[in-house]
Amino acid sequence: MAGTKVVIVDDSPFSIAFIKGILVRNGLEVVGEAGTLEEVKQVIQETKPQLVTMDMTLPGTDGLECTRAIHEIDRNIKVIVISSMMDDEIVKEAKENKVSAYVQKPIDEEELMTAVNRVMSSEELFRFLSSEYIKIFKEALLDGTNKLTKSLIQYKDEHVCRQEFQSEGLAVIVGIIGKFSGRMLIDVKMETAYKLTASIMKREATGIDEVLAVLGEFTNIVSGNACSIINRMNKAYGLRVAPPTIMHGESVHITAPGYTTTNILADSDFGEILLNIGFQRGDDQWM
Amino acid sequence: MDVKYINPFIEAFLSVMPQLGFEKVEKTNLSLKDCNLTYTGVIMTVGIVGEIKGNVVYYLDLESAKKVASTMMMGMPVDDFNEMAQSAISELANMLTANAATFFSNIGITVDISTPTLLYGDQVSVKMNSNQILCIQLLADDIPIDINIAFS
Repeated sequence: MAGTKVVIVDDSPFSIAFIKGILVRNGLEVVGEAGTLEEVKQVIQETKPQLVTMDMTLPGTDGLECTRAIHEIDRNIKVIVISSMMDDEIVKEAKENKVSAYVQKPIDEEELMTAVNRVMSSEELFRFLSSEYIKIFKEALLDGTNKLTKSLIQYKDEHVCRQEFQSEGLAVIVGIIGKFSGRMLIDVKMETAYKLTASIMKREATGIDEVLAVLGEFTNIVSGNACSIINRMNKAYGLRVAPPTIMHGESVHITAPGYTTTNILADSDFGEILLNIGFQRGDDQWM
Repeated sequence: MDVKYINPFIEAFLSVMPQLGFEKVEKTNLSLKDCNLTYTGVIMTVGIVGEIKGNVVYYLDLESAKKVASTMMMGMPVDDFNEMAQSAISELANMLTANAATFFSNIGITVDISTPTLLYGDQVSVKMNSNQILCIQLLADDIPIDINIAFS
């Protein structure tokens, strides 16, 4: 939390000084102040803060319009509203405008810092997850394949996936739920699925139903193991996996969800295996 | 499967669709299917965990998906099932399931939902996590939408 860059938006010099005092005492870095919509846009662009405290009543504008303007510049900036007004209607509107927390004036130092800590720790958790999950899911796929088939896979390509892609034949989808939600998907040619099943079962597959069941369980194991590793790193993630849904057919297009996923391609003894995985940055932390 | 697991999805549909600009919403059929579904069109799957665990799979044919996306975008014409339309339909699955989760919590069942995954194609076989799937067929302004529910 210390060193987090903050901009204070308020039209009262007293409030600015008061909020600044609290933030600085707690090790945050106040990089700018603004009191009008134009100032907000300018200061945000110049100082690139991670956090903004936002008054609701401002001359010629309001806190929600300013919040929208901030998120147009960078939607990852967290906004905490600090206002004397607080009722169900206004809090609902704030939520709809992607405000992360709401603190009422007169400001209680502890209450404000609890809000700041919660909002920013969520940010840090997401950053950590984003930097680690690819490695962890790759390891889980490698380990799962190795334990079940006694063979190794070789990763050969990895890229951010922002567009839809066509399934090779069989796609197994697992929804991930927790602090951040997302999905994991394994996509293979039908032929690969049959070979993988034969290797796991140590005999030829009895038919498509068995292949689907084995691939479903295989994907479930990989996603479950990976999520357990992440949960062990920090139990705040609390990741759980939904049961797999299996789709197969000709020309199945898998669309990009509204967040970034990564496509990881591996060579195995059974053919190529595509692993697609991504998490959505939620705006869950609300007080 | 207990019938109380179906109502939250129907309630969600009846409450969400009018908010998106659909005037007439109705339930047409409820059936129990065994494991394999085959669909040509747009399929969305959303995972559910919590006190109950499973998946919900939504289905619309391509033309219906375009019509629904168009209504959701205030009547903007949707000629191709492009990224914008995909995003609208994805959001529909998200809204319907999130609302169903709220209706579940009203009857004392806590569940969380995953992000939706949207696929489209021809003759797509869908295998869900249970051998018994409840299929609710609904209409929004005469556009048919299937909701398949499987809890393990």
